[in-house]
Amino acid sequence: MNLIINIIIGGLISGSTFALLAIGFSLIFGVARIVNFAHTAFYMLAAYCIYVAAQLMGLHPIWGMLAAIVLVALLGMISYKALINPIREHEGAVLIATIALAMIFQEVMSLIFTGTYLSVPALIGGYFKLLGVKVFYQQLLTFCAALLVMVVLWVLLMKTKLGLAIRSTAQDREVANLMGINEARVAMMTMGLSVGLAAFTGAIVVPLTVLEPQMWGGPLVMMMAVVVLGGLGSIKGSFIAAYILGFAEALVVFLAPMGAYLKGSVALSIMILVLLIRPEGLFGVYFEEER
Amino acid sequence: MLLEVANLSVWYDKAMLINNLSMGVDTGELVSLVGPNGAGKSTLLRAITGLVAWERELTRRSTHGEVKLEGTVTFDGERIDQVPAHEIVKRGLILCPERRRPFREMTVIDNLMVGSYLSKDKDEAQNNLDKVYELFPVLKNRTKQISGTLSGGEQQMLAVGRALMSKPKLLCIDEPSTGLAPILRAEVFQKIGDISKLGITVLLVEQDVSTVFKMTSRNYVLSSGKIIAQGTGEQLLQDEVVRKTYLGL
Repeated sequence: MNLIINIIIGGLISGSTFALLAIGFSLIFGVARIVNFAHTAFYMLAAYCIYVAAQLMGLHPIWGMLAAIVLVALLGMISYKALINPIREHEGAVLIATIALAMIFQEVMSLIFTGTYLSVPALIGGYFKLLGVKVFYQQLLTFCAALLVMVVLWVLLMKTKLGLAIRSTAQDREVANLMGINEARVAMMTMGLSVGLAAFTGAIVVPLTVLEPQMWGGPLVMMMAVVVLGGLGSIKGSFIAAYILGFAEALVVFLAPMGAYLKGSVALSIMILVLLIRPEGLFGVYFEEER
Repeated sequence: MLLEVANLSVWYDKAMLINNLSMGVDTGELVSLVGPNGAGKSTLLRAITGLVAWERELTRRSTHGEVKLEGTVTFDGERIDQVPAHEIVKRGLILCPERRRPFREMTVIDNLMVGSYLSKDKDEAQNNLDKVYELFPVLKNRTKQISGTLSGGEQQMLAVGRALMSKPKLLCIDEPSTGLAPILRAEVFQKIGDISKLGITVLLVEQDVSTVFKMTSRNYVLSSGKIIAQGTGEQLLQDEVVRKTYLGL
């Protein structure tokens, strides 16, 4: 019984963080066809922001989180404007540029903070017992915050004018343009939103994990697996696939503690199996073919 | 003239798709552009509505060759050939594109709302919506349906309705009848006639010459990027060379 509860908690938390990351990644891919390899590097930067605010400046971590989301989203928009936008029509170049960006972020963080493992205190300490299993309040908070942000994002996309612009640009940017939507501005705002989501994920996850400059690699692989499994560009697909892989990871970790290092390969194997049957992913999206 | 195109030329790489072309459309007219495949009809509409200039900006930053555009396009007294595509619609000129191209994953109502994206006023948008529903009652019954699941005819109605949501002065429609069953074609043409009667100027690209010539006030025949003949349907059908060579009748 304990095991089952642990697996559920682990699966829900990993799933939620994968979902947040993958949805942000899908958003900017959908709107601007940018494969942003630096997506989880922004998540790492946000985590360091909170460390600086909480541990070095002695502020309450919540201020670090708010600052992290704003600063990192801004940095995302600046990187987009300066680095990605000028080469946006070369898909390969964008790929290389974002990888370079991620490495730059990693190396800069290594220079400033060295490679030592750092940590950030939980927003709220303590735990409660659920059928004899310790559930930390921080875990609950992380999960609830992730769900809340996904609901807010859904409302933003489905009920607001900006959401309408994002969805229509993602489907057919030429026709969206024709209808009076400034496609370049929508792409810029989506980049801010996407990176902001990555920063938010970093912010809510950091109390549960250790900080180091290479912490973006693992989540990047999992996020890619989620996006491919769910169907490139499909937000619903990313959401469902995130929980599938999140639970797969939790199952491996808790059922085979000795084989915990296999969690990544199990997740990727699931992805490969699904792709063998459905090459477009679980919810492949129709894209208007570009001229 | 509401729309005036003067000495327009368009190149995609080395290919000259529009060759020093001049034409115009007056307020209230229903004008057609006809001609064989590859004559440059769609390119002309894309140039007028700013999409060629937009593509030129995109290709400038890529390796996919070069797009060039020369000449002037004047709409409602102002030059628009340097205006970005997303701002042209504000001035009352819109294109209902080839192959309809609804936002397939979105509902009918969302598609229509994208059409009125620029109207700041909610009442105005609602008012436009009522008018579009009046013209296309079929859309009203399907507001929540995902537009990709509509039939071809319904998708065409949606595409025209979406364009009308921006309250255009001039509506350009690119091949509305392609791929539709004859009975649906007749309906689409009838709706275009209705739109024209509402006082909206229409510039129509069509292959189905025999039907179109009965509706239009004037027609341009395009071939190899040039206008090779113009006039009323009757005049053009009497011209043996035009009829045989360019219209295939």
